[in-house]
This record gives sequence, structure tokens and C-alpha cells, in this order.
Amino acid sequence: MAAGKRIRLWFLVHKWTSLICTVFMLLLCLTGLPLIFTHEIDDLLSGDPPYVELPANTPRANLDRIIEASRARYSSEAIRFIFIDDEEPQVVVTMSPSTDSDPKHNHSLKFDARGGKLISEKPPEAQSMTFMGLMLRLHIDLFAGLAGELFLGFMGLLLVIAIVSGMVLYGPFMKKLDFGTVREGRSARLKWLDLHNLLGIATLAWAFVVGLTGVINELSTPMFQYWQSQTLPALLAPYQGKPMPPQREMAAVQGIYESVRRAMPESVTVSIVYPTEKFGSPQHFILWNKGNTPLTSRLFTAALLDARSGALVAIPEPPWYLKALEVSRPLHFGDYAGMPLKILWAVLDVITIVVLGSGLYLWIARRKQTGERITQLERRHEQLAGAAARAS
Amino acid sequence: MSQPAGLRKVWGAPLLLAALTVFGLLSALLGTGVWHWLAWIAIGIPVMVLAWYLWPHGSRKRST
Repeated sequence: MAAGKRIRLWFLVHKWTSLICTVFMLLLCLTGLPLIFTHEIDDLLSGDPPYVELPANTPRANLDRIIEASRARYSSEAIRFIFIDDEEPQVVVTMSPSTDSDPKHNHSLKFDARGGKLISEKPPEAQSMTFMGLMLRLHIDLFAGLAGELFLGFMGLLLVIAIVSGMVLYGPFMKKLDFGTVREGRSARLKWLDLHNLLGIATLAWAFVVGLTGVINELSTPMFQYWQSQTLPALLAPYQGKPMPPQREMAAVQGIYESVRRAMPESVTVSIVYPTEKFGSPQHFILWNKGNTPLTSRLFTAALLDARSGALVAIPEPPWYLKALEVSRPLHFGDYAGMPLKILWAVLDVITIVVLGSGLYLWIARRKQTGERITQLERRHEQLAGAAARAS
Repeated sequence: MSQPAGLRKVWGAPLLLAALTVFGLLSALLGTGVWHWLAWIAIGIPVMVLAWYLWPHGSRKRST
């Protein structure tokens, strides 16, 4: 009896957590499917010319020349950040009307990292939303910023609870059945129940990991804000009362880059974030660096340098929650072991869509069944009442 | 109540598939080269098992 009650409770947990999150999870599975192949689709759609063949020992372009070329093109604008790719020979400069504009006004210039030649430009999202940009926004925040991120994060949490409760229910459901049993020919509902259980239990670990790491990814904005609030005040204390320097008075970026490379020879610098009032430090360049082993290449360490002098100020050890976030990224994206893993990710994503869809179907079918049963009872009751009336 | 034998019958296959998946996810994350191959195989096994059970006209088990 106690066991029966426990099963009923788990069933209610499974039903309600799934019901609330299913529509959003279907959206996330559908938008996530193309996002697995972001890199390939971007390459296909970008229309950028292929990189010119250059000898392997061609020196890298001076970052200051690339910055000059960007400024020459948009003299009234500010540079937000610079991405230095370590896979392809590209340096991408992101600019916007001012250092603290809404990020939807960001636009980017792609340079060849070797010759420093401008390859292509990407307009701001506000001007022309690409298909992949749309998928990304629907997947991350439903165009609602932080509120959307937290909402979808909460839906992800419900999915994780639905997965755990589904696992608990699998035991009693399968007590008399062999693994993989699909009872066909009795009723559609029974067949889909078996399919739901089989597909769900076989992909349980994957769905759990992708769901949980998705939740962690949705918390990245508050995590970075918290990290900034813990790291920056002490570093900003000496600058009290001083305004953010204008970009033309800031230290030359190539020198900054080289001093960080000397200080952290075991890592690679992947991005340079310019001083900003809202999104980082107003008095520091922040350079993000990653390690060179499979695991440490996922972990980023920040180096902070004085905006005017370019002096290296601090290389704070990343806290555990940022490490957890950074390890969560590949585990959610599935982009960390070549094309076969991406294909498996896509197949598992489609299986998850079937699990979600069949779950929804089972709920509707069950409701219909319950509804029919109630109609039956009502009819019988009326018949009885009618018979009683005639008899009297 | 559920005896160990019953537990193994219900949970044997699911736990094995989950363990393979976790092994695959980690070996893809922590290793390169041959570890990526092992990851593809390990994560691919649950998918292959599903294909084997769901393939029409396959040697699927039917309950009576």
C-alpha cells in the first residue's frame, strides 16, 4: 500500500513536471537540432571566400593594424571585443555605436589573422536576423533576455525532475516485462507507453546530462555577474572617481596580448574584451585564455590589464562555478569530439522529441479514456435513474 | 517484493546503457584520438540497441 502510494506520487511528479515543460522542451529540441551543426551551417551560409593559401610560417598580423583598419572603417564607433580563433586563421573585431550599446547593435569585421586583410563583415542582429541567430535566441532566451534565460533554465530543471521521476517509474512498469518489449496489437496507447519507456530509458543518461548542463548554461549571466562582483571591486578601488578612459587613450592591444602570452605561456588567448561600464570592467582590458589539453582547453582564465598603461594587474583563479559552467558547455553542445558525436547528438535529440511527443500523447489518450469512462458512468447513472422513475 | 534477480532483470540493460553513455561523454571530453573513437562507439550503442529493438520485422521480442 505504501509502495503503491509512493508510485502514485512519483507518477504525479512525472506528469506535472513533464506537462509544464514539454512544449518548451519540444521547442528547445527543434531549435537545438540545427544548432548542433552551427559551425558547418555558418561555413556553408557565410559566403566568405576560403582562406588564401599562405606558407605555414607566415607571421600573424599585428593586432594594432587590425584595430586601425576597423577604426578607419567606423571612426565614430567603439570596439567591444576581439576574438582570436585558434582553429581558423581569423581575427574577428566586434564594434558597436558605443562601448555600452545594446548588444543587438554589435556588428563584426572578420580579418585574416596572417595578412591582416579584411575578409568579410557581419551586420548587427538588429538589422538582419540570420536563421541561426533566430534559432539561438529561441533556444537561449526567447528574445526575453535574462528573464527568458532563467525561465528556460527553470523549464530545464523541470525536465531533469521529469527524467528522474520517469526513471523511478520505469521499475514498477517493467516488473513483468523484458527489456525492449513493445506490446503491439492491443491498443495504440499500450504500444506508445512501451515505446515511451524504452526510448526514454535507453537515452536517460544522455538526456539527463544535456538537460542539467543546459540549466547550468542558462545561469551563465548571473554567474558571470556574481564573479565580477567578487573580483572587480578590489581591483577598481585604486581608480575611484576616475572615468573610463576614451578608447583612443587606451594601451595598444598588441603589447597587452604579448604580455599576457609571456605571463601564461601554457595557454592561448582567445578573446580581448575592451573596458566597458556595464558588461565588464571600466578600467581593465579582460583577456580570456584557455589551456592546451583536452580538458583545460574548455577552461578559461581571465587576465586583467590596466586600460591606460596596459600593465598586467591580475590573473584571478577561476572559481568552481565558472569551471562547472565551462565544462557544461561542450557537454550540452556535443561539439567536442568531431562529426560522429554531432550526428549522435542529433539522433539522440530526435529520439528525445519522440519521447516528449509520446509522453504528451499518453497524457491526452489517458484523459480521453478517463473522459469516456466518466461519460459511461454518467449514462449508466441516468439509465438507472430513468428506470427508477419508471418503476415508481 | 523485488528480489535481486528481478532487479537485475529490470535494471541490467538500462544501467549498462547509462554507464556506456557516461563513459562516452567523459572519454570524448578528457581524451583525444582513440578516446574519441571509444566515445562514438559507447554513445552509439544505446542508439544501436534501440534500432535493433524497433526495426520492423527484426528479432523483436513480443509479449503474449
